[in-house]
Amino acid sequence: MDTRIFQRLRRLRQLALASLVYPGATHSRFEHSVGAFHLAGKIASALDVDASETRLLKLAALLHDIGHGPFSHVAEPILKRHSDKKKLGDQVAESKVHELISWMIISTDKELARLISDKQREQIVGLLKGTWGHSYLQEIVSGPVDADKQDYLLRDSLFSGVKYGVYDQERLSNTLVIHDDNDDKFLAISIDGMHALEQFVLAKYYMTTQVYRHKIRLITDQMIERGIALGIEEDKVAWLKTLYSFDGSPEYVAHYLEWSDDRLINEILGSATPDGYAKKFFTRLYNRQLFKCIFDVDQNDFPDPNVRNFVFGDAKDFYKPLEKTVAGMLKLDSNEVIAYTIKFDSATRTESEIPVIHRMKTTVFHDESTLFKSVDQKIREQRFHIYAPISFQDDKDQKKRLREYKNGILELIGKMADPQTTLALEGDSTK
Amino acid sequence: MQKRGYFVSLLTGLASELGYQAHYYGPYSAVLDGTLTQMKNLGFVEEGTTGFGIVSGGFEMRRYDYSLTEDGDRVLQPFLGTKEYSVVADAVRKIRDAGDPNYMELSIAAKAYFILRKQNKGMTSAEMLKEAEKFNWNIPEQSLGRAATFLSRLGLTKG
Repeated sequence: MDTRIFQRLRRLRQLALASLVYPGATHSRFEHSVGAFHLAGKIASALDVDASETRLLKLAALLHDIGHGPFSHVAEPILKRHSDKKKLGDQVAESKVHELISWMIISTDKELARLISDKQREQIVGLLKGTWGHSYLQEIVSGPVDADKQDYLLRDSLFSGVKYGVYDQERLSNTLVIHDDNDDKFLAISIDGMHALEQFVLAKYYMTTQVYRHKIRLITDQMIERGIALGIEEDKVAWLKTLYSFDGSPEYVAHYLEWSDDRLINEILGSATPDGYAKKFFTRLYNRQLFKCIFDVDQNDFPDPNVRNFVFGDAKDFYKPLEKTVAGMLKLDSNEVIAYTIKFDSATRTESEIPVIHRMKTTVFHDESTLFKSVDQKIREQRFHIYAPISFQDDKDQKKRLREYKNGILELIGKMADPQTTLALEGDSTK
Repeated sequence: MQKRGYFVSLLTGLASELGYQAHYYGPYSAVLDGTLTQMKNLGFVEEGTTGFGIVSGGFEMRRYDYSLTEDGDRVLQPFLGTKEYSVVADAVRKIRDAGDPNYMELSIAAKAYFILRKQNKGMTSAEMLKEAEKFNWNIPEQSLGRAATFLSRLGLTKG
């Protein structure tokens, strides 16, 4: 814990700028990582994992976030976009960039190498990647009920000052069991822990809707991402581009490790950065002059299935033209209008398939739980938002204008989704 | 759906995009699961369930079937002539031509193939059968044989 790479986590906030909504949410990746380390040990002890594997599990949990950079997950899309795909190959498509950086730090950091053997560091990276150890060991560090989630739900809830993330952690840990099917061993839950797991699922759902997807938090996250992206692409700020252009080199990682949330804000607001979009966006964030959500819809707002698919399908190429047209309507700069789809995006399986062990039979959680399906379906619902730097005179003005924006933008999207309009637009762009 | 998706991903070269991982009843893709839920949420796909009771290994069997809704069918229409559609449709056809096994045989084939591939072991039908025996399910020999034939016909094992 006293290594430089681990102490750096004190300077990365766990929830980016969620403190603009929940003032207490200023906790860092440092305490979360220590918590994950502690819980990995507790789970290992409840499962009777042997001492050497327990050590590896605890270290993997301790180091799982070591590759996060300023603003953690919020900046991941920027890292993805600007990483050197030629040098890194398929790795960038298959993994998150901060995970690639984590694995590289664990494998190459000299201070860490003095404390943990080469073989053990290789095994820790394997556990995090899912390439070493039985499945149940991997699932303790990265799975539906891993030590990471078990810690962050409780911790984020505590620091945000809400009770939504509270569940019976002791009971959940103590009712996890190993399911051996002869080929591999998997993490499962005893039927006695069903309600503890249901509580955990509800905690995740409430925290997602009330904290992680709080409407103001979504706006701050998008302002951070757009501010950095425009700083690189429009303002051409060289140091910002360097920071987000991961190329797999030790020099890059050494430079990356020098950065923190506050340093990034200070550099953007300071004299080293010319006036431009990045400065404008971060000045707004600094003073909590946030964009407003001017359009908020879900799939039920689109009765035509083709329009529904146009908005919520995978193709996002209508965002730019939509932002431009909406900016024209509102007489704004199109770079300052942000279209965004809120979706549940999980790299690991959800709780759905966790084996539930009864005395005489084995079932799976989604068949066993009466409430799981509706919660799981709800958490995965998508919404489409547009954010813009506007202000309202009062509540009456807000209601009236938001209604006008909604009608106007729905009509606009309907036209954009029509293949005839698309063809006409393509024709125009080739002229 | 997970197992069928697994074989489609192998035949189309999409395996890395779907990110199949080990799961106790066979290879599992969070990407496929997420996409299916998204399709259900958008009203394009319907899910049906059939229970089969407890098999002798103690595992409760339940099959999930998915079908396109009227809305889903409308959304699919523009894709019918595309290259992406024909690549996936070809793979589904190959699976049907190779015997179109039922859910149980498909599960055995998928799990055995996933494990052998991960262990970098040879892929003969005999090795596949040996691997499948370890599942501890009371699987009729006929089903094991059909699963092995299925893999062989797809060109994934050496026969």
